[in-house]
Amino acid sequence: MPLTPRTTPLTATDAAHLLRRTSFGATEAQIRALVGQTPQAAAAALLVFPTTTLDTPFKPAEAVAPYAAIKLFQAAWLREMVLTPYPLRERLALMWSNHFVIGTDKVKNLSALDNYLSVLRGHALSNFTDLALAAVKTPAVMRYLDNDQNKKGKPNENLGRELLELYTAGIGNYSESDVKEGARALTGWTFEGKRGPKDFADPQTFTFNAKQHDGGSKTYLGKTGNFGGDDIVRLAAGHPSTAERVAFKLWRSFVSDAPDAAGQAKLTETYRQSGGDLRQTLQALLSSQEFYASRSSIIRSPTEFVVGALRSAGRTDIDKKTYLNLSGTLARLGQDLLHPPTVKGWDGGREWINDSTLLLRMQVAAAMTLGNQKGKAQTKLADPVPEPSALALLGSEKMPSALAKLGSAQRTYLMLVSPEYQLI
Amino acid sequence: MNRRDFLKLSALAVSVTSGMPGFLARAAATAGGDKTLVVIQLTGGNDGLNTLIPYSNGAYYAARPNIAIGKKDVLNLTADLGMHPSLRALSKFWDAGQLGWLENIGYPNPNRSHFASMAIWHTADPTQAASDGWIGRIAETIGDPFCASNIGNATPLALQAKQFSLPSISSVDSYQLKLPAGLHDPFTTLLNAPRQGEAEYLQAATKQMLLNTAKVQKNLSKYRSGAVYPDSKFAASLQDIARLIAGGNGQRVLYTSLGSFDTHAGQRAEQDDLLRELAEGLAAFQADLDVQGLADKVVVMGFSEFGRRVAENASAGTDHGQGSVMFVLGKSVKGGIHGDSPDLENLADGDIRYKQDFRGVYAHALDTWLNLDSKEILGGKFDGPKWLS
Repeated sequence: MPLTPRTTPLTATDAAHLLRRTSFGATEAQIRALVGQTPQAAAAALLVFPTTTLDTPFKPAEAVAPYAAIKLFQAAWLREMVLTPYPLRERLALMWSNHFVIGTDKVKNLSALDNYLSVLRGHALSNFTDLALAAVKTPAVMRYLDNDQNKKGKPNENLGRELLELYTAGIGNYSESDVKEGARALTGWTFEGKRGPKDFADPQTFTFNAKQHDGGSKTYLGKTGNFGGDDIVRLAAGHPSTAERVAFKLWRSFVSDAPDAAGQAKLTETYRQSGGDLRQTLQALLSSQEFYASRSSIIRSPTEFVVGALRSAGRTDIDKKTYLNLSGTLARLGQDLLHPPTVKGWDGGREWINDSTLLLRMQVAAAMTLGNQKGKAQTKLADPVPEPSALALLGSEKMPSALAKLGSAQRTYLMLVSPEYQLI
Repeated sequence: MNRRDFLKLSALAVSVTSGMPGFLARAAATAGGDKTLVVIQLTGGNDGLNTLIPYSNGAYYAARPNIAIGKKDVLNLTADLGMHPSLRALSKFWDAGQLGWLENIGYPNPNRSHFASMAIWHTADPTQAASDGWIGRIAETIGDPFCASNIGNATPLALQAKQFSLPSISSVDSYQLKLPAGLHDPFTTLLNAPRQGEAEYLQAATKQMLLNTAKVQKNLSKYRSGAVYPDSKFAASLQDIARLIAGGNGQRVLYTSLGSFDTHAGQRAEQDDLLRELAEGLAAFQADLDVQGLADKVVVMGFSEFGRRVAENASAGTDHGQGSVMFVLGKSVKGGIHGDSPDLENLADGDIRYKQDFRGVYAHALDTWLNLDSKEILGGKFDGPKWLS
């Protein structure tokens, strides 16, 4: 049984819920503008976006070293998330970057990072197989999972294994032999371009090196043929358990941190009925009863915490330096953009929360609202955030009574450190 | 933080205690024991064969023409085994009988996924059914969420418990809350409002953090550094561990990680650097413990989720394997090699066959060092090398 469409028009708290989950957050005016719309129309509007991004003041190619270039690149992405008219596109790119994982510890090339992010944006609403094909073929993935070293007769299994374990079917749904045969099929997939430490600004492009490809017969996930890389990515992406894993990722990203077998089964069915079409699946998900019935059940990631505060306050006037600081803050909060701790990516949920990250979230909230703090506050905004409403920050029309006698900045600070803001 | 701020913070911490579950109230009193186990996780699958090297074995050199450690570089320990040259800083502990290597450690039906395998080491459950970690279960047995802490950014599964989450401390210096003036009362009121679901979880986590940070900051002044630590994040974490132990915070298990050891390509450069970071950090840590007069009270136990395949791959790296080595370090450790050298002529799918279950290694630490019932924590009785003296 697929997801159940919701038919009643949106109230203010429904609209706040939708925008908290799809847009990192929104101002009170943006929320109220959706009141009375059908869930279907509201979702459809969010799911239309171009691939072009805003002009950026960041010039990573002019950096003196790859490390600095990556910092600028991350800050540029953070700025896009804060300012874009299409936040769902960035939210999806962030989600897929946590599925088709790469890491800037190995991928130190700007064109590879730029191409990777463009692929995730451009295919965010494609068929999942097309997204997987495009993502796996990026020079970033080639480099991160060592497939440029995977040659006929000299296998490197890294991409072959993670394609099955993490990108598609999931553990338990393939054999060691599938890993090895998949690695054979992926031989010859590599990238062109300089790769030395000083060449971080030079272009890298995917290429197929036929001389290094093993053209022999392979048996993969129960099928036999002279498979190449495209064939096995299609087979892996079309594996029945891939549907469950994609549904699981969407559920975790948009519905709840907590497992819900029945809900995920419905979402899997919706995905299957669409033939793996991500736009149709998301349209159904974001206008379903299941989506609107689930409130305050996802712990905000560091990015959602920071971008959410700024978007809810309607901030458009932040300078470059501050974006760089905030981007470094995301790393200290546990979410270094495009550099998760392992190839599995961030598990999220309660794993975002521990003593140190809670303390740092409070410190960041203070710096954003109360301005220049004494001590070690490392995220200074020139001006404090203007006061967003309880609807914008907490998703509720009612301000907590404990905050009644405080000034605007103090009220905003305490809302940002409340459990209610930490949840979407 | 000045003294006045600290007093306010203590008052805040006390004021939130009233809403705490019962298990926290009895925590400190029952923690007991004055010995600490430090667990080092080598993330990413450390290559055991290039860590403890079977340098007399021709099969080792035959399988690894490019990445083997040359005989002349090996730090000989026995007639057959020696350490990677990057581990030189640990030689003096071997000579003093304070460094032990545990051979061929693994678990049934090895899993070559980093994450499944790491989860097995964390939960001590090769069936992958358990959702809590073995150190989380220690904390629940003792009844104190502060009796085990991770030093790092994220709490590993090993420290997840059913009732509560154990602290992760990214750095001891920043482990303190400074609440802006005038906000103590509204914050306390806001925090104490009744909640359900994930909001209740976040509320409890915040309250617990207030208690933990106040406790640590109160005890920090007892420590004076007794060693010069190398300039690495790992060494800084070890120094934070020394500070926490010297502060008398009552933690029984402290945990930190170093990695990534996922050396699919160009292994030598990557692993060589990581092993040096490991050895130099640990040597400073041991020297510091000596100065603190705590060397008898602390043992270190290091592991990785799996070793790597015996044969190198064509990228001068190694793919995921099975059994590997563990190490133990400390004045109370029985130095030497525990177990047989790997049989490189009899492999399982190209990998070393494990001979000793890692749960036996944990069990010995639990029963002998931490004075806890390993059967209760590991869900069964496991035998292993007797690596404590």
